[in-house]
Amino acid sequence: MTTIKTKKSFLNYSHTIGICVMDGRGFMFPVDTAIGKNGRLHTVSRAYTPAVFQLRITMYDINSNFYGVYGGYGENLGEFRWPTGMASDKYGNIYVSDELNHRINIFSEEGKPIKYWGETGINEGELNGPSGIAFDSDDNIFVADHLNNRIQKFTKDGDFISSFGDKGQDTLNMPWGLFISADEFIYVADWGNDRIAKYDTNGKLIRCFGNRGSQNGQFKNPSGVAVDNDGYIYITDWGNERLQILDKNGNFIETYRGESTLSKWGEEYMDGNYEEAEPRSRSNLEPDPTQFGGNPHEESAHIEKYFWGPTSVKLDDSGRVYITESNRHRVQVYERSK
Amino acid sequence: MTNNNSDIKLIAHLLRRAGFGATKDELDKYNSIGYENVVDALIDNNNSQRINDALVRRYFPDQSVTHDQVGGGAYFLYRLLLTDSPLREKIALFWHNVFATGYSKVTNGKPLSDQLRMFRDHGLSKLDKLLLKLSKDPAMIIWLDNIDNHNGAINENYGRELLELFSMGVGNYSEEDIKECARAFTGWSIANSDYIKELAVRNSIMPYGKLAWRYEYKENDHDNGEKTFLGHKGNFNGEEIIKIICEQPATARFISRHLYHFFVADEPPVPAWPYKEPQDSEAIDILEKAYFDSGYDIGEMIRVLFNSEFFKSERCHYKKIKSPAELAGNILRTTNEFTEPSIKITEYNSQIGFMGQTLLNPPSVEGWHQGTEWIETGSLTERVNFASQQLGDISKPGIKKIIENIIKNEGNSISAQICVDKCLEQLGAIETSQHTYKILVEFAQNNGISDINLVNDKENATKKISELMSVIGSVPEFQQS
Repeated sequence: MTTIKTKKSFLNYSHTIGICVMDGRGFMFPVDTAIGKNGRLHTVSRAYTPAVFQLRITMYDINSNFYGVYGGYGENLGEFRWPTGMASDKYGNIYVSDELNHRINIFSEEGKPIKYWGETGINEGELNGPSGIAFDSDDNIFVADHLNNRIQKFTKDGDFISSFGDKGQDTLNMPWGLFISADEFIYVADWGNDRIAKYDTNGKLIRCFGNRGSQNGQFKNPSGVAVDNDGYIYITDWGNERLQILDKNGNFIETYRGESTLSKWGEEYMDGNYEEAEPRSRSNLEPDPTQFGGNPHEESAHIEKYFWGPTSVKLDDSGRVYITESNRHRVQVYERSK
Repeated sequence: MTNNNSDIKLIAHLLRRAGFGATKDELDKYNSIGYENVVDALIDNNNSQRINDALVRRYFPDQSVTHDQVGGGAYFLYRLLLTDSPLREKIALFWHNVFATGYSKVTNGKPLSDQLRMFRDHGLSKLDKLLLKLSKDPAMIIWLDNIDNHNGAINENYGRELLELFSMGVGNYSEEDIKECARAFTGWSIANSDYIKELAVRNSIMPYGKLAWRYEYKENDHDNGEKTFLGHKGNFNGEEIIKIICEQPATARFISRHLYHFFVADEPPVPAWPYKEPQDSEAIDILEKAYFDSGYDIGEMIRVLFNSEFFKSERCHYKKIKSPAELAGNILRTTNEFTEPSIKITEYNSQIGFMGQTLLNPPSVEGWHQGTEWIETGSLTERVNFASQQLGDISKPGIKKIIENIIKNEGNSISAQICVDKCLEQLGAIETSQHTYKILVEFAQNNGISDINLVNDKENATKKISELMSVIGSVPEFQQS
């Protein structure tokens, strides 16, 4: 693999959005973000058992303006138990996969529940742990059916179209995030195989990128993938707690460990909580990473600015990159350097 | 009774104490290598390949972070159910009770889970090494206020409990020794101590969730002056204090009693030890000798213990009441419900709490009082209901397999007595009193298992056997170890 040397950083850190709170404005173990109409962002919090009341989708924008929450725990319309993947159709409706209810939920752009679909099972058209989701240009939805080790394609109303990835050689292993590129290729974060798989629209495997490891161009359990209009591939390398960028041929471009600063919501919290803000200001939240035995999970547990549990990467039309971090309850935003 | 059966019963006893029980299939495998080799394998092996940490983190971000005692406890239970090295989890459970540290004050799951990992990794090593790890453990530093133990302004909480509850026991040191011990541990703190302490007190999750904690030695806050401790004089730091502690016969006796109490037979609660002699002084003498002969090596003490006659003796079989974690661990390993992390583990962890043992949150620094204190009206109902529901649930793969094993070699029919024998054998070579045995046979006779054709009416036979298994879950011999 060729490494392309870049003189300047490919991405520039912009800012962070989010705060860890149990309800309302903020997140609790967020796992994915959808970019809706008019720059509206929707981030789903997975929360945890037994604190299931903290499950919700938070609406906000790039400037941290908050527009409310919707969704909640359960099995009825507008409810979910293990929300995982998010995507927006061309009308701005928000789709949310649910790994435990084995279904896809649909909400309006304002968060009003519309419907859900999905049957549990292993046959074609049935779902077993739907994880990442993405739309193609025809508004068909692709679902990473992770426990069936395949990708399934449906109309947005849930009519089965096709499936692939679970037959022949190089089958998928518990796929997580996926992305449909502008040139209509399907990129899959093949979580259990530690690689990115690229398919054409007929489900034919074109190639795979990477293998298990921590070197440049290698992955440990990648969770998310996105491709920009120039063909650059962005991967949340979840097990290595980093973002990696490859060019369209799979050549390594750059890796990022995270640069989070205090979010606007975090600043507001600190403004009202001197008892925490003052000792925080005297604290070293960036200790030397070498003391953690080369374990990225531990490094991220101790170094607050690092990605910790980067579960998805999304791109907007302005070239911004959004990395959702489940374990740090926030979204780090980056921009392409000029 | 054949030798082979004796061996299996002994290995079953060992696995109940050193692990979380074993089914007949597992016992047959263990038996093929012999008792002493099983002991060695339990102590020397650390195989946990079936534990899928990546999948735990994918499904349960709160367990990835070990946000609180719920996620941390569920993860502990998951390990306990999946591990192929049950003694590693058992020793973590042992030290979790001796060096009891709780979420109620720590308010952060990760330092507690880190502490359990430390117990798992070092709980079978030498005591001086373990006490050193413990003294640098961030959860302990918050739990017993060593964060407030400063040069010139000591907080003696950790120094006191190190001597009273963690090593020597009351009556073997003076109040002055406690103060001198505390002085030696001044400066043993955690990084960002003011901020971490504030977050812990407020149980704050903001701005970005709970931070991990790490040990930090603050040299400027350490009292370098001369100290007199247990008759020794010098400019002691914590390391020297631990060395002196480990040299004490009282420490050998205290740790020996703890091991006996946990692995052999219930003793009175620790606060009564200064006033009550051990029930088996000879056994304690043997363990004390092993302590010094091995250079304070806990693993070697346990090797001696498991190979001793006092442990093997049938007099101590079924004389311990299983803790809720041991009981649930035994049951859920038997049902074999989990091959992957599941949301059900969190539910079962809650049920362990209902039985009186909330993992990662012991009631006080004394840990959980064991023995008959596990049994009170509410907890007994929870224990019996849990065992009966699980062992009678034919949807569980482990139960299904056990029933198939019982049926497959019996031809067309099975008598009530043989059915009871087979169930007890399959559940881990369980021996019962004559009284219990009679009740079980009567139950099996009344439920009509002997009238059913095992070949033609397998469904009904399965149901009847599962009912018997359900009753076995409630009998004292199953609830005990």
